[in-house]
Amino acid sequence: MRILIAGAGKLGYKLAEAFSNQENSITVMDSNEQALQRVNANLDVLAIKGNAVQIDLLQRANLRNTDLVAAVTSSDEVNIVVCLIAKKLGCKRTAARVRNPEYAKQLDFLKTELGVDYIVNPELETARYIAKYLLKGTVVFIESFADGRVGMLDLGVKNIPELVGKKLRDVNIFDSILVAAVAREGEMIIPHGETRLNDGDTVYLFGRRENLQRFVADYFPSAPRDRRVAKSAMILGGGRSGYYLANRLRQNGVAVKIVEKDEAQCQYLVENLQDVLVIHGDATDSDLLREENFAQMDALVTLTGGDEENLLLALLGQQQGIPLVVAKVSRPNFIPIIEQLGVGRAVNPVLISAGEIIRFAQGGKVASLSLLLDGQAEVIEIIADEEAAVIGRRLAALDLPKGIIVGAIARNNEVIIPDGNAVIQPQDRVIVFCLHKDVPVLGQLFYRRKEGFFRGIWHSQKDSGKYPQD
Amino acid sequence: MEFGTVRKILGNILKIEAALMAVPLTVSLLWREASAMAFTWSIIITAAAGIALGVGRVEIKEIKIREALLIVTLAWILVSVFAALPYVFSGTIPDLTEAFFEAVSGLTTTGATVINDVEILPRGLLFWRSLTSWLGGMGILLLMLTVLPSLGVVGLQIYKAELPGPTADKLVPRLADTVKILYLVYGGMTLLQTILLLFGGLSLYDSLLFAFATVSTGGFAPYNTSLARFSANSYVIIIMSVWMILSGVNFGLYYDLWRGRWRNAVQNSELRFYLALTGISIVVVMWNLWPRVSGSLFESFKHALVQVSSIITTTGYSSADYNQWPDFSRSVLFILMFTGACAGSTTGAIKLIRVIIAGKLIKREVAHLLHSRAMVPITVNGYVVPEETTRSVCAFLFLYFALFAAGTAVLSLEGIGMVGAASAVAAALGNVGPGFGAVGPAHTYSQFSPWATVLLTVLMILGRLELFTMIAIISPKYWKQ
Repeated sequence: MRILIAGAGKLGYKLAEAFSNQENSITVMDSNEQALQRVNANLDVLAIKGNAVQIDLLQRANLRNTDLVAAVTSSDEVNIVVCLIAKKLGCKRTAARVRNPEYAKQLDFLKTELGVDYIVNPELETARYIAKYLLKGTVVFIESFADGRVGMLDLGVKNIPELVGKKLRDVNIFDSILVAAVAREGEMIIPHGETRLNDGDTVYLFGRRENLQRFVADYFPSAPRDRRVAKSAMILGGGRSGYYLANRLRQNGVAVKIVEKDEAQCQYLVENLQDVLVIHGDATDSDLLREENFAQMDALVTLTGGDEENLLLALLGQQQGIPLVVAKVSRPNFIPIIEQLGVGRAVNPVLISAGEIIRFAQGGKVASLSLLLDGQAEVIEIIADEEAAVIGRRLAALDLPKGIIVGAIARNNEVIIPDGNAVIQPQDRVIVFCLHKDVPVLGQLFYRRKEGFFRGIWHSQKDSGKYPQD
Repeated sequence: MEFGTVRKILGNILKIEAALMAVPLTVSLLWREASAMAFTWSIIITAAAGIALGVGRVEIKEIKIREALLIVTLAWILVSVFAALPYVFSGTIPDLTEAFFEAVSGLTTTGATVINDVEILPRGLLFWRSLTSWLGGMGILLLMLTVLPSLGVVGLQIYKAELPGPTADKLVPRLADTVKILYLVYGGMTLLQTILLLFGGLSLYDSLLFAFATVSTGGFAPYNTSLARFSANSYVIIIMSVWMILSGVNFGLYYDLWRGRWRNAVQNSELRFYLALTGISIVVVMWNLWPRVSGSLFESFKHALVQVSSIITTTGYSSADYNQWPDFSRSVLFILMFTGACAGSTTGAIKLIRVIIAGKLIKREVAHLLHSRAMVPITVNGYVVPEETTRSVCAFLFLYFALFAAGTAVLSLEGIGMVGAASAVAAALGNVGPGFGAVGPAHTYSQFSPWATVLLTVLMILGRLELFTMIAIISPKYWKQ
């Protein structure tokens, strides 16, 4: 795939990183020299300096041969204009980041009239994700796939003392549950029978949802057996994601308090949200928090602009015994630390949005995609295509790389946790865990044919001279 | 430090080298030469070393700039060591340091030789000698990148370290594709020159060898008298010169031409400077030679054309013993030994883009004297050159001349005269080949003592890798964690 990414900020970088493999050729555009240098130093992509709304620059990037333009600059307007121009210049598909709630209300117009095929709103996605956690989750959050039949659970080993120090082979509590990966000190490891679990590890488990729920119920006796649904929530930071989240929680009958520093923003929230208590004040002011019964909340969500503030406030909440704590952390390099700090749940808007755009880029065959641990691994739900190379062959015969693990296969009404003898059939929903470096192999197996030695160059040639150059 | 990955990559490079040695082996077998045994042994040893380095299960990990620098330096040394084996095994160059010198001289496209009479050499060996130039011209590691494109960012660091020039820009998003394009241009130019030389009456064997040595700007000739052998054949002389000049152009510009971005190529300021400098040098040398050295104006033109294009592109062919020429012509050629041609070509020495940037820095200093608070950007081709680049250009220029000065002083101990010592160091550092005085085109480098041979060998690798890669490895800072 040929992809142009406008904007080399956090999301642009993450996208370029996630897309960059042997199958894709990626161009990143930004007017900031330093951002480009970071891209250039770490990724095998072409970095072009310049504002992406300059038509001559876009022309030189050969948009007619480009499969996707992802406009993720800091400005909504620029992103929309980039998509508009790109479409006019012949690009196949466009995606834009649009975060302003006012624009979010007219998404249909943007899509039909302005040529933006896909719009990702990081704040809205983040809010959705958090709401899902707060409203459906137990203390341990099970991510669901295949219409909720298959689940994935990330579990800190230290929560179950009997696991610490054991070899995986000797662990027998994971009945019909697959251990796909272990995150250790910020790195994703594919375990085998001899892998010993440390107390700082996080394990990623796949299984039927009910099995996972039973597992959680057995090993977390402190947690109520029924689903804990938050009745009250406090949101620290009333920015865009705070607004979306409050709206969503309120619609589900949760009593929401928002603490926001900026008076004008408070005014905006009051005008646009009904039945939400908006408090004008500093979230770091402990007196204020105590006054507002901080410790008695069911849930605490920290959504201020600063990652550090969010983390510290979340830790404070954790210490006060708030059952559900969520912190927003945008910077990817903090994620390994968060694992160790033991904050209830950290959500990363950048990873969530990147996952959404990648899913869109892969087309209709990918039902869902989430990036794990700073994008080191992906969990993808793919609807198996009849033409794909995986169809009709035993998994053991496919010679899958170590980094690709077929976690579950959902077929009609049954869920299979596969072993080497399992065979994937057309229309199966396959939930695959995949390390980033093996994504190209995944592509070859599930939806694309391999490129030859010269085809790549030939593709970059055949469009030469379609536009008057320079 | 990911030593496992470094080891694995080096092993792969040696395996590729062993495979490439099959080409001269085939030549040897075609002419039924005894050198075939030398190549067979070399292939066995090189392949064995490659396999030994790659032994064990090591996952190729993401490496950083530290490992990349080490890989590039070690790869060049290792590949040269194994490239020297055929010279030793065939008995052509029994002395180990001299065989290593010849291998490095080939791979770095220097073209300096320790062989006093190349015409008695087996054909297979001469073929290998020219092939090393061709392989080293675009870069042995880049060749590996086209075969093993899965190195990702590792490849990018290697590309930066091996491609000549202060900045290494990619032509297309994916590095592997960029390298393939460069090799296609390189191979295409070699093929075209071979065909044109065939029309000039050369045998296929000679045409190939000259094309290898010209497009890579190496300068090895299978004849003792280099291009002087063809002095009666103006067609061959002109094809050689034109191809030398073409090989001094940034290969990326050929890609631009191919894509129809001709204005991009024509307006390139480095290219313009290069062509102007070459043109002016040819005219002044021609004017200086005529009528003192050669009778007719056309003869003078031919000599000036060959010699200027040979030295500015750091090829090192000669059409006459230019050591006998007037001082002015020799001075012009001496200066051209330092400038080199365009970045992104196969030429050595400083590269004109650095000269341009340095010139603009001087202009900026003058502007600052007059308007102390003026903001004066350094622009090349309409783009502002980042401050890091100008800084690295300054450091490069200083280091280059410092190495030249120190090298000259040390080499003077050999007692070959100051001109000889200075030009030998300049020729090694700039990957030119022949120099002046005792190392002029009528002489070879076999006269040096072993330590001087090693010094010149190191200077050639330093020059080919543009100094900093190797300097970084030998700095104590590199090895401190």
